[in-house]
Amino acid sequence: MTYVVTDNCIKCKYMDCVEVCPVDCFYEGDNMLVIHPDECIDCGVCQPECPAEAILPDGEPHLEKWLKLNAEYALIWPNITIKREPPGDAEEFDGKPYKLESYFSPHPGQGD
Amino acid sequence: MKGGCISEDGIGLLVDHFYGKVRVDPVLGPIFDRVVRGKWGPHLETMRNFWSSVMLTSGRYKGAPVPAHLRIKDIEPETFDHWRRLFGETCDELFENEVAEVFRAKAVRIVESLKLALFFRLNPASNRNWS
Repeated sequence: MTYVVTDNCIKCKYMDCVEVCPVDCFYEGDNMLVIHPDECIDCGVCQPECPAEAILPDGEPHLEKWLKLNAEYALIWPNITIKREPPGDAEEFDGKPYKLESYFSPHPGQGD
Repeated sequence: MKGGCISEDGIGLLVDHFYGKVRVDPVLGPIFDRVVRGKWGPHLETMRNFWSSVMLTSGRYKGAPVPAHLRIKDIEPETFDHWRRLFGETCDELFENEVAEVFRAKAVRIVESLKLALFFRLNPASNRNWS
């Protein structure tokens, strides 16, 4: 079991989760974060911290593609443990549907 | 009287009582003695910070528990189950059921997660494929 970051993080990237994570298992892409499934200890602290409600436990249905995406990019994006300012237009994109198809960037973020 | 609650004080109480039991436990005691090597003070402080981060989102603990457990020899999935039972008992002794259940539920998830991280490669029944 692990938590996974899902669609609504894309282009919102509020980063509140990285401050509370006890095991520093968030990795930063250009416009979203992911959780390393082998480092997450399933404590659940991050889930209520996410203003975009983008973090879910992987036991919920239909999350396989998100688990795969989190596992894949956690290996190549830089670790992030310190919150920065979210994108200026984060609120504008909060709640938009199908962000993966429209906006996802595979490029790494800046990390800590 | 069971008066503990989910607070820094409650967590301090839990950590002190639980590791008091761990130290004299026939299964866990020898493992912890070998790993902690007499430095129980710093270990208890780490555990207070860990539970504070998990229960109160204080962010006080920052660490890597998976590699820390991977380094320990002679632990089995059953060792974690034993730990979880002892932890659950301690919660029941200190807290009213509702509070005890919150701690226990969190511990169950963390224990299962650590077991998965440590043992899933060795146990085909629980094998996971991330790719």
